[in-house]
Formats: sequence, C-alpha cells, structure tokens
Amino acid sequence: MANLALDAKKQNTYDAIVIGSGISGGWAAKELCEKGLKTIVLERGRDIKHIADYSTAMMNPWDFEHRGQVPLDIRSQYPKGRAAFLREETLPFALKDGVQPFVEEKPFTWTRGYHVGGKSLMWARQTQRWSDLDFEGPKRDGFAVDWPIRYADIAPWYSHVEKFAGISGNKDGLQELPDGEFLTPIELNCVEQHLKKVLIKEYDNKRHVIQGRCAHVTDPKPIHTQQGRAKCQHRNLCNRGCPYGGYFSSNASTLPWAAKTGNMTLRPFSTVHSIIFDEKLNKASGVRVVDTNTKEMIEYYARIIFVNGSALNSNLILLNSISNRFPNGLGNDNGLLGKFIAWHNYRGKISAEYDGFLDKTTDGKNPSNGYVPRFRNLFSQETDFLRGYAAGIGAGRGSSSSREGIGEDLKNSLLFPKINNHWGVSSWMMGECIPIEKNHVRLHETLKDPYGIPQLVTSAEWTDNDAKMVQDYMEQFTEMFTKAGFRNIKAVDTKSNPGADIHEMGGVRMGNDPKTSMLNKWNALHLCKNVFVTDGACMTSTGTQNPSITYMAFTARAANYAVSEMKKKNL
Amino acid sequence: MNRRIAIRDLTLALGGLTSLPAWATNGWTTHSFQLNQRYFKANEQHLLATIVETIIPESDTKGAKSLGVPAFLQKMLQDCYEPTVSENIKNGLTATEKAAQKQFGKSFDDCDTQQKQQILLGFEKNEDTRLKDFYSLVKNLTILGYTTSEYVQTGFLKYNMAPGHYYGCVPVKK
Repeated sequence: MANLALDAKKQNTYDAIVIGSGISGGWAAKELCEKGLKTIVLERGRDIKHIADYSTAMMNPWDFEHRGQVPLDIRSQYPKGRAAFLREETLPFALKDGVQPFVEEKPFTWTRGYHVGGKSLMWARQTQRWSDLDFEGPKRDGFAVDWPIRYADIAPWYSHVEKFAGISGNKDGLQELPDGEFLTPIELNCVEQHLKKVLIKEYDNKRHVIQGRCAHVTDPKPIHTQQGRAKCQHRNLCNRGCPYGGYFSSNASTLPWAAKTGNMTLRPFSTVHSIIFDEKLNKASGVRVVDTNTKEMIEYYARIIFVNGSALNSNLILLNSISNRFPNGLGNDNGLLGKFIAWHNYRGKISAEYDGFLDKTTDGKNPSNGYVPRFRNLFSQETDFLRGYAAGIGAGRGSSSSREGIGEDLKNSLLFPKINNHWGVSSWMMGECIPIEKNHVRLHETLKDPYGIPQLVTSAEWTDNDAKMVQDYMEQFTEMFTKAGFRNIKAVDTKSNPGADIHEMGGVRMGNDPKTSMLNKWNALHLCKNVFVTDGACMTSTGTQNPSITYMAFTARAANYAVSEMKKKNL
Repeated sequence: MNRRIAIRDLTLALGGLTSLPAWATNGWTTHSFQLNQRYFKANEQHLLATIVETIIPESDTKGAKSLGVPAFLQKMLQDCYEPTVSENIKNGLTATEKAAQKQFGKSFDDCDTQQKQQILLGFEKNEDTRLKDFYSLVKNLTILGYTTSEYVQTGFLKYNMAPGHYYGCVPVKK
C-alpha cells in the first residue's frame, strides 16, 4: 500500500503547477515549459482547442438559427443580470448560472471565462504599456504602498511578450505611454486625425489621440507563423475565437507553444480548492483540485506554483489555503489578503456628431480604436481628485435606412441604405481607481459553491474620487469635442457597477515590506516564496491602461526568475 | 465574402491545414427550421406569411416570403419569446382577419395590396397597445429576417466577412 501511495504521489508530481490557463497562466506555461520544467496547467472549465472549437467563428449572419438571439430555454440557464448580453455568436464562452455563486455584499459585476484560454479569448485586445508615471503614483500621491519595481524593471519583459504576442501600434513618443515592439499600425480615420490635430494645438501638445496599441498580427513575423498564426483579417469577429490566430490568445499562442515542448500537461475540469503548505519545509508543496466532473479531490505537487486564476479567484484560492501556520490564508500574517481591491472607472461615456469630411468614409474594419492617454495630474497634482483617466475613442461614418412605411418603399429603403449625413463619434473613459482597504473580498462563513469551496463575498464600492473623475471626464471631453467642432455632444455617467470594466485587480498586492504587502518584487509571496501570483491580484495600483499586457510581462519576468532561482537551488 | 470563400482563404492563410475542423466541413447552409407544427395552426401560418409578404413584397427584387422569413418568424416566436408575447401574436392574427372583414367585407387573403397595407398601418397607430405591439414585433422580425438573409446581405448590403484591411479615410463612392 505504501508503495502505491508513493507511486500515486510521484505520478502527480511536476516541476511546476500553473493555476489557470488565461492570459497570464498561458504565459507562465509557455515560459516554464520552454525552460524545461514539467508543468501542469489546471483549468476549471472545459478545453477549447484553437480553431477546432471556435464553433461559430465562420458563421454568417444567416447561419444563426435565431440570427443571434438566444432562445428562452437556453437563456434561462444563465444568470439573469447577464442574460441581456447573451448572443448565439458568443454563447460557447458564456458562464452558466450556479457554476460559481458568489455573494455581492455590494453590487459587483464579475465576468469570468471558465474554459481553456479564459478571458484571453474574449478580451478587447488593447495593450498599452505602463510608464513610471503610473508605477510612481502611489508613492507620489500617498495611497496604497509604493510599487517595488519601476518601468526599467519591466520594460525588457514588455518587449519580450510584445514580440511573441504580436502588437500593432505607432511609436508615438509619449512619456506617459512608452513605445514598444510594434507591428504595422492601424490608421486613425479622418475624424480621429482631425481631433488629434485639434488637441495638440489647443492643449499645447499635452493631449493626444493615438491609435490604441492592440494584440493583432498586422504583419506576421516568423515568430507568429511558427505559432501557426496568420495576418489579422479585420473581421472584427474576435470574440468568437479567431481561426486565423489574428489576435493573441492563450489558445492560439502560448498554450500550443508550451504543448509543443512536450513539457505541458493541461488538465481541464480542475477547480483549485487550495494550496498545500508544508510546515516542515516552510513552503508550498502542491495544490488540492476538485475534479468538476467527478467531484473527487486530487492533489498535485510541485516545486513552484503560479497562481493565475484571475484576480478575484486568485484571492479566493489563497484565502482558502488554510494551515496551522497560516490560519487566515496563505502568506496572510498581515491580514491584507483580499483587501485593497480596485478596478477601472468606465462610468463616463460621451457621444457626438460631426459634419466635416462628408466626402470621406472608412473602408474595412478597425479591430482597435483611438486612444487618449491620461493627461490629468500627469506630472503634478492639478485637480481636486487623485490620478486621472485615459479614454477610448472612435469615429465612424456608417449608413442607415429608414424602417418607416410598408411594402415596396420599405423594401427599397432596407436594400439601399444611405450613407449618414454626418460622422458619429463616441468615447468611453478608463479611470484609475484608488485602492482602499475597505474595498475587499473575503470568504463567506457558511455558503459553499458546488465544489465545497467557500463562496466569495465581494464588498467594493465607488468613492468620491471616482465620482469627481467622471465629472471631469465629461467636462473635459465636452470641451475637447466642442473645440473640434463636434455637435450634439451627449455626456453620461452610466453609474455602472464596480467590476463592469472587467479589470478587477488587487487583494494580493506587491510591495517592498512584508508588513504592508503580500508579494515581493518578483511576484512571490513574502512568506511563501515558491508561490507566485502574476495575474490582476498582484496589482498595487491600477493605472489607466488595459492591464493584460502588464500581467503578461509580470508573468514572464517572474517565471524566468523562478527558474533561475530553482537552478541556484534557492527554490 | 461568403463562408465557402472565407474557409478557402482560411486554409490559404494558415498555409494549408491538413484537416479542417468539423464546423468547416459540415456546414449549416442546409439547416432547416425545426418547427413545432402545432404551435401555429395552418391558417395562422398562412396569414402570418401573407402579412410578412405585405410588409416586404416580391417585385423585381425578392420579397420576405420567398426568402423564408415566415418560417423564421415562427421559429423566433416559438423559441425566443415569452408565451404571453406569442399569445398576442395569435390575437393579432385574429384581429387582422376581423379588420379585413369589417373594413372590406372579405378575408385578409382576398384583399388587394393597398387594402392589406391599410389594415396593417392601422395597427401601427392603433390606440390598442396590444395591436400596436403585435404589428411592431411582426414588422421588426420581418425586417431582421429579411436583412440578415444571404440574398440581401451579399447582394445588397456588401457583406464581407473578412475585408482584410482598414482604410481610415477614403472618398465616398458616388
């Protein structure tokens, strides 16, 4: 019997465990496998194979039985609040009701991707780098704690991940949004270029419109064709999965790359329950997994563990990793685990019309969008709120047809749409939220999910700082649009829920001091140094940039550090 | 670009896949609507088709009926709407027939185009919100089914699944 147990343990032992196969987990898998580590990747959902499992990717509008609308009997299987967003096109990636119930102590919109690839299949693919103006924010403005790293620490890793992922963009030469390793840029359209010129002139070269850097292969390099990825076809059907591999996802890029090394074991249907802490060795020895099909609990063992379960789930796993040494969650002597949750403020939206360039239009589809980098409080404090916001921006000409009437007139109107007699312009804010202790997640004392794991309680709300920032965004963009000659300007505070931005962060923040932070500068737990957290949970502050590229860079950096420490026998 | 060409181009773009996934070879183009024949009675189905054809008729371009929109409507009403909504559609059909008898002394089917249009437009501005809702839903679904058909998408609306480019500033074609 003893031998059998020993064999079973050996069979379940790897060099590394990666929890989660999303945008950061995929990177952990790739880096660790490339360095020769036998790695098991644990994914709670089902497998989605690149190309083969993108079942709706090549369907035309008329191929959908209900033209996109989801039938009632299927709709009823999904959470009520989200049902409005369900579409036949993207149904394969939607999360059914009851899979993982959680408790909204205060309203929180939590979007999850429970399948191999996670949200990397469904993301907006915007990839802006952070600058030191972001990393130095907490220290300068006196909130959270100082980041233990600066731009120079992460810059080479941004380059590392950008080259592999394939990022399209212009070298814009802006201090607040450093340039990277860019493929051929997508161009701004006439109206966006017009706004760009107006802002430079009217705001003394301090406000800019650029094309958002995005994870689209606009001209494939050998490193992309080696991944089996082809040029972006400008289909803008990305959220069905891209059979061309035109945009970056774990499924198209990092996971197949890791698999090719022969070192990766991918285990879907594996919900991680907790991390096992070995008190004798004073480090983690493995993880407990619930097989979601059999509900059986299985243990896996490894020398290092990467926690990439998505920000809130990584918090949940650590909170649920209880031992004699850590009765309040792994590495949580300071009681900060789960606290200082933050996200991005997407509340403000603005639309307008423009009567210029009426002889011009666009042709094809832009998978990216215009981007206005943060201009508020950049180099010094200048408003009555802390930090600032970036904004997405897009203009389009479009055409429309009247739906009035009946018979031949109606038909002709539908068959021959007329180009609009103006351009439409829209913008959405992306504000930095200040992490505060009160905004937190914790384990529910009694409620459990279907796998016996405590339910997560989300307790997070907007602050005055957020409200002031929305106000400022609406005022400033109204002013900027007015200067550009736009009309019919409508600004709105949508008062969307926290989390609706799908950029939830923090709870396991990085810092220099174990008393005030959870992770060190290498994303390892201060108190359990073979556990690395490199997804959104590690974020000390939020910046304004879409965060995925930063998680990728953190992950690659931490993985390479972990391997070098293992070689030195330090891990 | 239609699906067949898109899949051919996909194969080219990826340097020749040895085997295409199941979704590329099975195709949906032949899918036929699985209709519950008891849901709408035969006379209701016929009336609904006549209304749909009145909204978007056949002429030198195809109309809604010949593009299969009546079956699409039934499919949508059967699968995507609450029973109260579909009940109101049945009520609306009865009301349509009644209006034809009352206004023109014959069945809706026997009315000429102008008379049919007049009856339906009467619902559009009707004070009875149930009639208004009936016509509004039938009209919107007819437009949806018609404008998303292959005939309209590829023949008129310049549908192109994979344009392969984006140009931000080009002259408007006259």
